[in-house]
This record gives sequence, C-alpha cells and structure tokens, in this order.
Amino acid sequence: MDSKLRKVLALLLVAALVAVFAVGCGGEDEPVDDPDTGEAPTTDVRAAMVTDVGGLGDKTFNDGTYEGLLRAERELGVEIRALESNEIADYEPNIDQLANAGFDVIFTVGFLMTDTTIVKGPEYPDVVFGGIDQFFEEPGDNVVGLLFKEHESAYLAGVVAGLATLDGDLDDRINDQNKIAFIGGMDIPPVERFEVGFIAGARSVNPDVEIINLYAGSFDDVAKGKELALSAIAEGADVVFAAAGLTGNGAITACQEQGALFIGVDVDQYFSVEGSGDVMLTSAMKSLETAVFETIKAVVEGTFVGGENRTFGIAEGGVDIAPFHDFEDAVSQEIRDAVEAARQDVINGTVTVPATRDEL
Amino acid sequence: MAGPTVKPPRVATGALLREFMVPVVSVAIAILISSVIILLAGFDPIAAFAAMLKGSFGGGRQIGETMLRATPLMFTGLAVAYGFRAGLFNIGAEGQLFMGGLSAAFLGIALAGMPRPLNIVLMIVAGAAIGAAWAFIPALLKAKVGAHEVITTMMFTFIGRYLVSWLVTGPLRADGQIPQTERLPVESTLPRMHEVLPFLAQSRAHLGFVVGVLLALFIWWVLKYTSLGYESRAVGFNPWASETGGISVPATTIKALCISGALAGLAGVTEVMGVHLRLFDQFSAGFGFTGIAVALLAKNNPIGVIAAAILFGALSAGAGTMQLEAEVPAKVIFIIQALIIFLVAAEQLARWVIRKGGRQEVEHAG
Repeated sequence: MDSKLRKVLALLLVAALVAVFAVGCGGEDEPVDDPDTGEAPTTDVRAAMVTDVGGLGDKTFNDGTYEGLLRAERELGVEIRALESNEIADYEPNIDQLANAGFDVIFTVGFLMTDTTIVKGPEYPDVVFGGIDQFFEEPGDNVVGLLFKEHESAYLAGVVAGLATLDGDLDDRINDQNKIAFIGGMDIPPVERFEVGFIAGARSVNPDVEIINLYAGSFDDVAKGKELALSAIAEGADVVFAAAGLTGNGAITACQEQGALFIGVDVDQYFSVEGSGDVMLTSAMKSLETAVFETIKAVVEGTFVGGENRTFGIAEGGVDIAPFHDFEDAVSQEIRDAVEAARQDVINGTVTVPATRDEL
Repeated sequence: MAGPTVKPPRVATGALLREFMVPVVSVAIAILISSVIILLAGFDPIAAFAAMLKGSFGGGRQIGETMLRATPLMFTGLAVAYGFRAGLFNIGAEGQLFMGGLSAAFLGIALAGMPRPLNIVLMIVAGAAIGAAWAFIPALLKAKVGAHEVITTMMFTFIGRYLVSWLVTGPLRADGQIPQTERLPVESTLPRMHEVLPFLAQSRAHLGFVVGVLLALFIWWVLKYTSLGYESRAVGFNPWASETGGISVPATTIKALCISGALAGLAGVTEVMGVHLRLFDQFSAGFGFTGIAVALLAKNNPIGVIAAAILFGALSAGAGTMQLEAEVPAKVIFIIQALIIFLVAAEQLARWVIRKGGRQEVEHAG
C-alpha cells in the first residue's frame, strides 16, 4: 500500500513537472501585453482577432495580425483581445463570443475562415469584420476583405533569386547549374500568387533559369518541408523560396545542412526564425500589421468604408522584400539595381506581375 | 476467498463504484494540477474554470456547443473502446473517419433531390460500411498473417487522409478559392437539434448526438447480451482459451475491427452532414486520436464513452469563454486533456503492474 502511494505521488510530481515545463516553453511564444504607460491616447473602440488553428506564436500571419492590434493599442488606445482557435469548430463560437462581448472590430485570420466570416457578417451588422487573406464576392457594408499582392513581393524575391543563382561571387554555396526551387504549403490562391510571382521575377532577369516547383500539402509539416528542400538541393537548386508557413522551417534546416540559400515568407524571417541568418538571403513580406492597423484607425476616426476587398501591393506599402541582413555586403550592386528597377516597374505599372498560373 | 456470508450484490456494487470512481478521481486530480499550472502562469484558476463551466453548460447555446463537440468523440471513442474489448488497438480511427466523411460528401451530392430521411439513412449506412471496409484489410492481415493492427490501421490512416487531400484539391474540388467539396444540399444534412429542442438556442448541435447516444447504448447491449459481443470480449480477454472453447479467433478479430471501423466512419459522416456540410482537408481535429483518450477514460465501457465524450466536448466548448473572460490561453485545454489521459493511463499502468505481480506470485506458488 505504502509503495503504491509512493508510486502515485511520484507520477503526480512527474506530471506536474512536465506540465510546468510545457507551459514554460509555450510561454516564450505568447505575446505579452505591455502594461500601459499611462499617457496613451484613449478611445472606446475595441478591436479583436480570431486566430486560425495555428494560433499565436506562429511567427507568420497570426502574429502579424496581432502586431497590428498591438500597434492600435499603443498608438490609438484601442482595447484589444485575441481569441485563439484550437480547432476549426472554434471559429464560429469565438466570433460570437467577441461580438456579444461588444467588440467593434473583429479580424478573422486566414482564407479558411472565409465562409465563417460570410455567415457572421450579416448576423452582427454593427461589428466591422476584417477578413485577412479573404476575398468576398458580395461583402456587406460592415465587411472588408484584406488581401495582399503576394505575387509582387515574390516577384522581387524572384529577381534576387534569379540573379543570385548566377553569381558565384555572392556565396560559395552558389553552383553553376542555374536552378532554384519553390516550395509551397497548400495549393491555395495566396500561395499560388507567391509561386507565380517568384517564377515571373526570376525569369525576368534570367530567362533560362530552371525552377523546381514543389508542394507539401500542409502548412505545419516541418519534416516534409525539409524532405522537399533536400530533394530540390540534390537536384542542383542553390536558392530555395518556401511559402509554406511552419513547413518552410524544415526547408531552412535543409539549406543549412546541404549548403543552399533560403528566402523567407510573410514576415522578415531573419528575425522570426532564430539562427537562420547564415542562409536567409531575404524574405517576401506582406505587411499584415499595416492592413490591420489602418482598418482599426479608420473605424476610430469614423472613416471606415466596408463592402469591398482591399488589396495591398508594393505601391500601397503592403508587400515588399526584407533587407539582406548577413548578406548585405555580399549582394552585388547589379542585384540591388535590378530589384529597385523591378520595384519601380511594378509601382508605375510598366510591369504587371501575373497572379495565377494562367496569367504566367 | 470470500466466505459464504458475503452478499454478492454488495460486492458487485462496490466493484462497480470503484471502477466508476477511478476516472472521476483522475479527472479531479487533473483539474487540480491544471489549477496549479494556471496559477503559476499568473492567472486565476477559479475564474478560469468558472468561465469554462459557463462556456460549456451556462445556457442552451453553450450546452448545444458541448453536445456538438462531444458527437464525433462519442463515435471514435466507441470505435476504439470496441476494439480494445476484443483485444485490438484501433489506432487508425482517424483514417476510417476520413473515409466516412468522404463517402458522406460524395453521396450527399449524388443524392441531391431525394427525400431527407432516406438520404440520412443511406449516408449513415454507407459511411459505416466504408469505415468497416477501411478496417477490413488491416483486420484480414491481423487474422491471417498476424500483422499488428497498430501498424496497419495507422498506415491506412495515411492512405485515407492523403486520398481525401487529393480528392478535395482535385477531382471533387468545388469552384472557388478553397480546396473543398461542394456544399451539401439541405436534404443531405442532419437536422439541428434546436429545431426540436428550442432551449438549445440556435446552437449547432445536430442529430448526430442522438445517434451517438443510441449507438452507445446499442453497443453496450451488443457487448453484454449478444453472442457476437461475448465472442469479442472472450477473444479480448484470452484468445487461446477462446480458441479452445470453440470461438474462431480470426473471424472474431475481423468482425471486431470492422465494427470498430464502422463506428469511426460514422464520426466522419456526422461531421460532414451536421457541422461542415462539405469535406475539406482539415475537417477533423484529430477526433480519431482523441477517441483513444475518450475510450481510455471510459475504461472501454460504451456508457462511459458518452460521459467521457461530453467531458472532452465541454473542455473544448468552454475554451473560448475561458480565454475571453479569464484571459487564460486556449492551449491550457490541451494541458488538461493531456493530464487526464496521463493520469488515467498511469492508473491502468499501476493496475497492470499489480496484476502482473499477483500472477507471478501464483506462478511461484505453483
């Protein structure tokens, strides 16, 4: 009896330790609200977001949206809240919770929430809904789709990759096979835009470049990402661009192990993925923070106009590529000039970047 | 052993009570440890659990939400429990669930325009059949060549999941941006329960919950009172003795794993017909795997599965309110679930060790 009791106690202790450890680890990823400094401006507008199943701490678009909320809290004095979804069934009730609790603006994150946003928009006509990466056929007056021209930032990334793969002076990991690789998460419109823009950009400066094009079928399969990148590198690719969420982090490891360069996605992954600086050439970013902040600001100032899809491209400051960071000295002036020329071409409309495979 | 003075009914009641108390105590300890964790993380555990309770049972809509989330877990919990009773670990309930969902998404469109009751019956029967079929090959391999079902059903899960993934991005994909099948016509969907029980206030709970409860009672009856159930339990308890006693172990194994597969298939059917009304890649939140935890907590008792599924459903339904009102991160739910599983499993482990020790003593004595 005594030994049984001891066993139970030991098990409980282990359980408690494991659990505390788990919380400790998880805690690093959770954004922490900074205490108010006391002199922030105030408004009675309250803004919230419902994450997709990736949750906060995904280092891509859920966190990017939250950055926008944090900025609105800081600069506009808006009360903010983020509800995380553990499963898809949480989307609807999470929106209900926030709407019933009196939030004025609710962001729903990710294309998978499109249907839910369409249903909930008319149910809460007094709440403004911002659908991140969501395109609405007939949005109500309180609904706005917030989309990004991923293809434009990918185009710039393609220009960098297309020239980098020819430039043996840039890095000794560059080979003479003239091959680069694209790795997509799931074959959905935003990812297709990344793919097509990347290909168009690379070909615009290097018509003979071969692009190895792979899809993982998942945004959270790190092992699959690594496997795909390894196979692409084995075939001769020396620059790998992954638009695949967490899956892409596996490709970073593959590049580090097999000696290739990497281009990140959504945010400046030089910062979001620690220790990736040795392969991180640049990142194709979309500024979720700006889109979210501008929407909240419009509501606060009473200038919000809904019933439309708003698209953020290079010209609107919504997408761009990140600095070269550790490669700042290695990247040639030729590449910098080509990127700047491409950026200007896109802004003044000389170049229209294709957004679908049909347009490529 | 017990003398003639001991009254059998009292012994039975005591044993039953003890069996019932073990999971309850496990859950209580899990909640206690979770409270400490929530406290250490800087939140108020009492507020957290109060909010969770409010979010899962605080009103008609909340109760409906709990029922909604309990529904798939009842089917997968029953599936895993039935397998365990026959000595089989059907770890591949997720794959059978995907195939059930696939058949519902396909049939639901094909049966458009037919009467609703007919569609519901046909789609449920077909989904159960395909779930059973998906378990049949692993069952056959187990019965004929002894290939372990943990490996084979798991592998069939990958096949099923990727098959669905391919179909929804390719041949069965509907027009639009999202890779998913067409929305089911209303005659191919399960009615929502608030249409009959108005107090459930527009919640998404659907007829699948009732089907699940009735099925749990039916499976309980099958296990207890039919020769099929008796054979399953006998093989699970001791295959060699069963063989000697005239029960065909291979045949019973095949039947049991197929029944388990059919039950898991129904989880996919009801999720598609009652919740999402279409099929897409991620329509299951790992219900096949959570079903293992449900079966474990229910100690493989079909009636217990109802209670365990409702508990897990309540945890899931209450997460949103807990986040909003107590500001506790939703992921805490996973910690509580993991602790429950851990404690229940540890109890089984301890019991196994005790039993093993007892057997050795007997052997030494012999």
